[in-house]
Amino acid sequence: MANNYLTTESKKLATWYFTFAAIIFGAQLVFGLVAAFQYVMPGFLFEIVDFSVARMIHINALVVWMVFAMMGSVYWLLPDETGIETVGIGLGKLLFWVFAAAIVIVVLVYLLVQVGPADQTTIWFINEGREYLEAPRWADIGIVVVVLGFVYNLYATGMKGNRSGIVTVLMADMLAFAGIYLAGMGYTDNISIDQYWWWWVIHLWVEATWEVFVGSIAAYGLITMIGAHRKVVEMWLWIEVAMLFGSGILGIGHHYFWIGTPEYWWEIGALFSALEPLPLVAMFIHVLYDWGKQQGAQEAQGKEVSVIANKPAFTWFVLQALGNFLGAGVWGFFHTFPQVNLYTHGTQFTSAHGHLAFFGAYATILIGMFYIAVQGKHGIKVMHATKKSIWATSMIFGGVLGMTAALTMSGYVQVLVERAQMGASWSGYFDSQASVWFAQGMDWRLIMGIVTFLGFVILVTDLLSIGKATHHER
Amino acid sequence: MAKKTVWSDNRFWQRSAAWITGFASILLIWLTFDTIPQIKMGNDADLQNGVTKRVPGPTVINYKITYEMNTKRGHEIPVIGGMNAEGTSAFQEKEKFFGRDDWSQDEAMELLALGKLASQSKNCMNCHTLLGNGAYYAPDLTKAWLDPAWGPEGSMQSMTGKSTKEEAMAEFLQHPSQYPTHARMMPNLGITAAEAKGLVAFLKHMTSIDTNGFPRNFAKIQGAVHGK
Amino acid sequence: MVQETIIIQDIIANDFLTIFISSSLVLVFGGFYVGIYTAVKVGLLKKWAMLFAYIFWILTDYCLYLMGSLMHVNDFTGKALVMAAIGLLLLPHAVYHMQNRVHEENEH
Repeated sequence: MANNYLTTESKKLATWYFTFAAIIFGAQLVFGLVAAFQYVMPGFLFEIVDFSVARMIHINALVVWMVFAMMGSVYWLLPDETGIETVGIGLGKLLFWVFAAAIVIVVLVYLLVQVGPADQTTIWFINEGREYLEAPRWADIGIVVVVLGFVYNLYATGMKGNRSGIVTVLMADMLAFAGIYLAGMGYTDNISIDQYWWWWVIHLWVEATWEVFVGSIAAYGLITMIGAHRKVVEMWLWIEVAMLFGSGILGIGHHYFWIGTPEYWWEIGALFSALEPLPLVAMFIHVLYDWGKQQGAQEAQGKEVSVIANKPAFTWFVLQALGNFLGAGVWGFFHTFPQVNLYTHGTQFTSAHGHLAFFGAYATILIGMFYIAVQGKHGIKVMHATKKSIWATSMIFGGVLGMTAALTMSGYVQVLVERAQMGASWSGYFDSQASVWFAQGMDWRLIMGIVTFLGFVILVTDLLSIGKATHHER
Repeated sequence: MAKKTVWSDNRFWQRSAAWITGFASILLIWLTFDTIPQIKMGNDADLQNGVTKRVPGPTVINYKITYEMNTKRGHEIPVIGGMNAEGTSAFQEKEKFFGRDDWSQDEAMELLALGKLASQSKNCMNCHTLLGNGAYYAPDLTKAWLDPAWGPEGSMQSMTGKSTKEEAMAEFLQHPSQYPTHARMMPNLGITAAEAKGLVAFLKHMTSIDTNGFPRNFAKIQGAVHGK
Repeated sequence: MVQETIIIQDIIANDFLTIFISSSLVLVFGGFYVGIYTAVKVGLLKKWAMLFAYIFWILTDYCLYLMGSLMHVNDFTGKALVMAAIGLLLLPHAVYHMQNRVHEENEH
């Protein structure tokens, strides 16, 4: 490639992962829009691409693009952290193609075959019908192989080169990330046991291992983008790991309130999930603290220039701290106690929380990594924002906040009408869905979804063009 | 230079993180060993001997199931085969399921297993919620068996031209778009007669799972809880 | 454990909005408390702003109390909430103390 400033194979490979992640991110948004449109116009694509299919692709694409971008992020930071070229680049490239091809096949089967007869061939080859883990069993096995290969590369590189604190955390975290997936691969006739293990994957991914992962990425970002002191950042990282795993692992209790599991999970779930926001507050303060400290030190030397080496990426990193606090923290906390969750569980509240938490905690920082990769690829010393990056950031963040607000309103209607007054029956459900307030919430969600999507389109054009802008310091 | 303290020592925090993580993981594993036996599926003998299980055996489909407030536990619990003096399951009163109330352990298990598989193959969870988890595009199915819409007073039996709850449900599942109840309809998923029967057994069995009182006040209220 | 009473009482429909808002404000006010405390300590805000940090901590406690009482929490959860309030009070002090230590050791 012409004008490619990337000197390591690892970073070149990272850009492959980022590119594919961005494409799947687009697919996630498109199918999200289809599903959002179906809430407003139920006849849309009825019995062609039904809500169940659109939503399945929406949430699977979400998981897949994030996993791709996470792998990309690791390949990106490894040479910087370890000081050597990543071991097993050839394997990394091979796994990239295997994984990408598997994803394309899985999505095509979701779209074209959709459902199968009630036997094990459907579970093996079409879909497993378990929210987030719909991928058929053959793909499950493929995913495990791919992730193990990736973990091997990480370990081999970490052990050969300089094993920094960040790399150590990533090594432990990615092994747990891969291992936990195994809990979700079995089949059982007992739906309570099914959901018990299913939450091991979903919860221990997004509320434990993924959170620690973004903690490491944030640490890397603070060091590379604003020159924060490594020792301080890594000490913080260890504290965050302690806080995140300390609250997050047993926070799984809040998913065990109503699936048939014993009542003691009420206390465990309430206690530990009440603690879960603490690391998020701490991470937010930490980012601002380090930024203030570095800027202050710079200004003390009489230099008025910003310490930030990559404005768009740093903006996304700060939004991550804010979004994680709002989405996972505030929107999680207000329905986490069993007394309230009894009425809110399985309403649009959950959906509001899901949207802001996934976006705030993960999408933001991974978009930040896209910008870091663009900066590195074009050999830019200080990368400034463009008009496009400002528009994209505002529209995506504003759009998701708008969707969250709209879903929260609809969820509130559901809680009051369906749960508190109508006892969650079929007619209670439809009465709440027919409420004007609920319907307006769905209209606004669609509008805000479109804003988000347009923001994404601008984001892509910005990522493709910002490197060629002339106002950066090279 | 300030004195080195343990609080600013990375090794200390690294060890703390490892210990806390290890401790939390071990606690979770220990709790798992406690929970899994409690949610293992019971069997026919349990039902015959009046042993209450959080997840009863598949032959629960032979019994009448209701959902009653239990003052001792402070929430509603599934009551199987009528209520005894303590307000829990008496395991006496039977209820015909597709014309029979003598489904054997094996027959009932086969139905339930087919239903569970069908619930996954047909991707139910990406519109409905099961035990409160899934999507929010269609009603929660946790206690669907007890929903008034399917009962003798509800509209679904006359709409499908069937005289029992289970037959009405099975008919609806096979031809959902023929019986539209709202603008938002269930699509045709190619559910066969056998699969539909299995799914209904799966739904009836799910109703008998002790969900710690979720959903609250299910189908108890015709008008409103608080008179609004 | 006291389990009998955990969800025996229905939440009154009119109380839901207060519960949702107060529990959201717990984190928002709690965040303000920690944020203002940190900002004063690193010199971004004047010393007198510290008063507001503690006012926000008191508001956080009030919201916790409101949320807990309207949800009819049991004794165990009630105690856990009090512990959480005290934990929040101490958190930024501990964090600042550590940060300061590390910076002193590494930069001077």
